[in-house]
Amino acid sequence: MIWNETKECMSRDEIHNMQGARLKKTVSRVYHNVEFYRKKMQQLGLEPSDIKGMEDLHKLPFTTKEDLRDNYPFGLFAVPQSEVIRVHASSGTTGKATVVGYTRRDIEIWQECVTRVLAMAGIGANDKIQVAYGYGLFTGGLGLHYGAENLGATVIPMSTGNTQRLITMMEDFEATAIACTPSYLLHIAETLEEAGKTDKIKLKVAICGAEPWTENMRKEIEAKLNLKAYDIYGLSEILGPGVAADCDAHMGLHVYEDHFIPEVINPDTLAPCKEGEVGELVFTTITKEALPLFRYRTKDLTSITYEPCECGRTLARISRFKGRSDDMLIIRGVNVFPSQVEAALLEMGETSPHYILIVDRINNLDVLEIQVEVEEVFFSDEIRKLESLTKKIAHVLQTALGLAVKVTLVEPKTIARSEGKAKRVIDKRKLI
Amino acid sequence: MIRQLSIFIQNEIGSVAGVTAILKNNNINLRAIASFDTPQFAILRIVVDQPEKAKTILIDSGFAVTVSEAIAVELDDKPGVLHDLLQVIADAGFGVNYIYSIVFRNGKIPLIILNTDNLEKTKKVLLDKGYSVAEQEDVL
Repeated sequence: MIWNETKECMSRDEIHNMQGARLKKTVSRVYHNVEFYRKKMQQLGLEPSDIKGMEDLHKLPFTTKEDLRDNYPFGLFAVPQSEVIRVHASSGTTGKATVVGYTRRDIEIWQECVTRVLAMAGIGANDKIQVAYGYGLFTGGLGLHYGAENLGATVIPMSTGNTQRLITMMEDFEATAIACTPSYLLHIAETLEEAGKTDKIKLKVAICGAEPWTENMRKEIEAKLNLKAYDIYGLSEILGPGVAADCDAHMGLHVYEDHFIPEVINPDTLAPCKEGEVGELVFTTITKEALPLFRYRTKDLTSITYEPCECGRTLARISRFKGRSDDMLIIRGVNVFPSQVEAALLEMGETSPHYILIVDRINNLDVLEIQVEVEEVFFSDEIRKLESLTKKIAHVLQTALGLAVKVTLVEPKTIARSEGKAKRVIDKRKLI
Repeated sequence: MIRQLSIFIQNEIGSVAGVTAILKNNNINLRAIASFDTPQFAILRIVVDQPEKAKTILIDSGFAVTVSEAIAVELDDKPGVLHDLLQVIADAGFGVNYIYSIVFRNGKIPLIILNTDNLEKTKKVLLDKGYSVAEQEDVL
């Protein structure tokens, strides 16, 4: 069903006008409350009054993850701390987390967006949904949780980490929906299959996201579990899960344009892309109170269309993601930058700085292996010392990345050196 | 004491051959070889006639190599002699990290090569017990 028909089915003109009015208000508020943006606008010779509507959006400065990091932890917040009722955080490129905040109103908008996603997938008050995203600083668990409660569904807050318990409750509670990463859902499907329990479960809908996946994976999940799977997209900087999601048509993800203005730009020239042309997705928030962002560069590559959808919604749709314009990897929902590995290894100072990340999907779970060259000076004659070095590297990297890693020591000079930018990643998952 | 080379190699098909090819091409003669493996990597220990040259060449070829000392003891070819040697070391309170051997010595007695927690003290204990401990020139 369409949860909020007035907002999801406006005419394009209505959307345009609403966005323009909200943008104007946001710019004025941000200018007066966030020093970072005030300075950036002053450098560009921009006054809040210069932004009159959507036609002026392109005048605003871009924002990057580095800007969030430079203003760690709360420098970009536009409200006093007393109005912030929650923070979330995700890993950053150099070990420092990216921190985001929410006012009560922000949380209400977030749950409204997630509720729209769940309703779009056919979930309602009579459903029992297992939320199997991580609960905590990661936005996945709590984001889905609040949206499902708002919808009136019965929430089973599983979080992650115990597949057997998840399956037992799925069966005993007769869960009808699940929210988790697509790779984890495939893992669950296979575990069910091995236990001969596939027929016993009552799942009919899955909401999958937090990592890139393909149309083929969706079909595989649907066939294995006899349910309908939907794609949910989001990023903590903008909101968390619920920025966009797909409908029954599976012809792209609807962006909740009454809260976020999407743009697609050429990541090199920063010029806007034509409708349908692949480029970097950029968002401007127009209702966020605690952390409003102008033209935030997601680094996700996609294309956009404003054609009305066969489902009746008029919201712009972004296509399935075509990759990233940076080297960030998403592994089990965790953002990993090769530079984090490098920084951790250098800080540890007991290995060579030559490494490569190998990401693979084994039994439908993403695994990260990091190969590190053994360097002359750190090479010990004793196997136990090399083994304890391996364990130490794994521990240091696990702490830095927030993700279990397998460390393999390799011979010196076996990791390819390339001229210019080193190839630091081999992604065997073949997602795109 | 003798000098041995320890080489880090990945536990993969052909990795030991990669080392022996380099030794062969540079006319370096192997006296002893032993490999100690884990599921992922191995340490190859070798005794050669030209340890410094071998080290330089192997490092230039991209291997991680260290040269370390080990004790080489002459043992008669009779049942029980290795046990007697190990008992002496155990009684002295030292742990043995690894053992391998040099069998072919142009008619001379075979050598047992071993590494313990404390090489100097182990060597002294063995000499005190009348064992013959070889030096580098003895293996050339």
